Amino acid sequence: MDNHTRPVKIAALGMEQRTYSTLQLFFHEHCKDSYVLVEENSADISIIDMDGFQAHRMLEEHKKHYPNQPSILISLSHDKTYDAVYIRKPIMLAALSSALLKAKERLQQPAAAKTPAPEVPTTKIVPQLQIVASNPETVTPVLLNNVVHNPHKIARQEKSTSKHFNQYRYSANFLTEDADLEHINTKLAENFNPDNPIQIAKLQYQPEQTLQGYFQKAYFTALQKQQNVLLKGVWRPITILHASKQLRVEKNFRHLYALSGMLFDKSDVSITVLDNNVDCEPGLHETVLPAEPFLWKLAMRTSRGRVPANTNFTTPIKLIRWPNFTRTIITPHALRIAALWARQPTSLMDTASYLAVPLQHVFMFYTAAVSLNFVAPVMTEENHSTATLPPVKHHRYRKIFQNLLERLRSN
Amino acid sequence: MTNYKIIFTGPVGAGKTTAISSICDRPPLSTDKIASDMTRDVKKTTTVACDYGTVRLNGGDCLHLYGTPGQERFDFMWDILVSGGIGLVLLLDNTRPNPFQDMDFFLDQFQDFINQTQIAIGVTQIDRKSAPCIDDYHNHLSKQGLTIPIFDVDARKRQDVSLLIKALLFSLDPGLIENND
Repeated sequence: MDNHTRPVKIAALGMEQRTYSTLQLFFHEHCKDSYVLVEENSADISIIDMDGFQAHRMLEEHKKHYPNQPSILISLSHDKTYDAVYIRKPIMLAALSSALLKAKERLQQPAAAKTPAPEVPTTKIVPQLQIVASNPETVTPVLLNNVVHNPHKIARQEKSTSKHFNQYRYSANFLTEDADLEHINTKLAENFNPDNPIQIAKLQYQPEQTLQGYFQKAYFTALQKQQNVLLKGVWRPITILHASKQLRVEKNFRHLYALSGMLFDKSDVSITVLDNNVDCEPGLHETVLPAEPFLWKLAMRTSRGRVPANTNFTTPIKLIRWPNFTRTIITPHALRIAALWARQPTSLMDTASYLAVPLQHVFMFYTAAVSLNFVAPVMTEENHSTATLPPVKHHRYRKIFQNLLERLRSN
Repeated sequence: MTNYKIIFTGPVGAGKTTAISSICDRPPLSTDKIASDMTRDVKKTTTVACDYGTVRLNGGDCLHLYGTPGQERFDFMWDILVSGGIGLVLLLDNTRPNPFQDMDFFLDQFQDFINQTQIAIGVTQIDRKSAPCIDDYHNHLSKQGLTIPIFDVDARKRQDVSLLIKALLFSLDPGLIENND
């Protein structure tokens, strides 16, 4: 096989198994095996996830050993320190395809013409535990739109691929399925000033055109109309069963969470109210899930530690109902925050201060809870009356409660 | 050494004995007897006096867990049981004919105690009968202006019972420090 027909050999570095398998499928099905995954030492091109633990160190090592090998770096960050082709997460089909072509062009350049990789000082400080590339200065306020350089072109591509659902799976955001809390951008809320509009913009996202937004709309339509609702898009159909507050979905539903980082045009999504006589029994390849934990998790995944647009950081928030914590992901300090808001409406900023918890944890709970209408800002008149409430007093048995908590935790 | 107590209450078969067993240090002292009345349709034994278990705490303190007998004819004991209690855990059986009626009954019976302390509600057997769902319980309570932690629990699972107690403790004092390690 000569160079024109042989597959380009790709090394995928710093990726967990799921991501690796996704790439493998992408190359096989979408690229018709014109790319193939191989070990690092036999690769033509490397793809490196820069958001992993010690990713920078790994890249430096890689560049040392393979200085002429073109690299594609995928990251949540805008940081372009290295001479490489960059893709911002979440990865779109078009972006990945384009990056592969660019890397391939570099590969075909004569060795002398290749730009040498810049010297990376070995004393560079490498983040010790960087779960996500979380340079707060580089995160854009609106999810995903940074990767869409030509929206019309991308929209056409999305439309053309919408018939082939599987292709969308491969452009998922490469976040690990099980690490629900780990992908939160933990530095986003550091030194946050609620009077700074730039910081506010970075901390907010717009769920409307995401799967979260469409699912939310479909779910509440079902509850309001007391009818089942069918949600269709690039994913396989999801039926929301209003009476049991469940959803009927394909058995392999977990990939839906991976779609959380993508924007979908309204024209590609439909929400249809079904006649209640329509048979909604799950088929052979379908399953039924409780809707609330699904939406809760989807909101967490979509927000990545941000809050929905128009969130007011200083308006008191009240708890309307407790989440079913035995069957839902418990975000850090969620029970405390819920208890505080049930007892005394408190703003996001004050909650962090009263409870001495990171603002990020307050945001995480708020975003998941507000997606299900479990919490709401207090109206203006109420707001006036609650604004002067003193912080919650210590219970006289606090010490014993603390001991009991420790005991429950240790067991 | 100081003693504190949490009360577990609820109708027959809701899982009070099981919940206490799953959380206390050693098998609880139980006063279950072979059921001889209509209770036997629900389960073979029933608690006729009370369940009792303890959890030893650092510093020599002790938490006592008391389960009320599920049958109403023993309700004369409830006042005695709650005296000095720090909070109430109400367990409801979702398979019973009218769990909302059960909930209202127990909220009413323990109203004074709840006003002085806090309550957390666990709904058992949802896996056997999915309606009403947790949301329905909340809707029922919200009509009475109540916002109470209500969780779907399996009384056999320590983690579920533990979460109910945690919700109760944080409701009593949201300022408690939760170690998220």
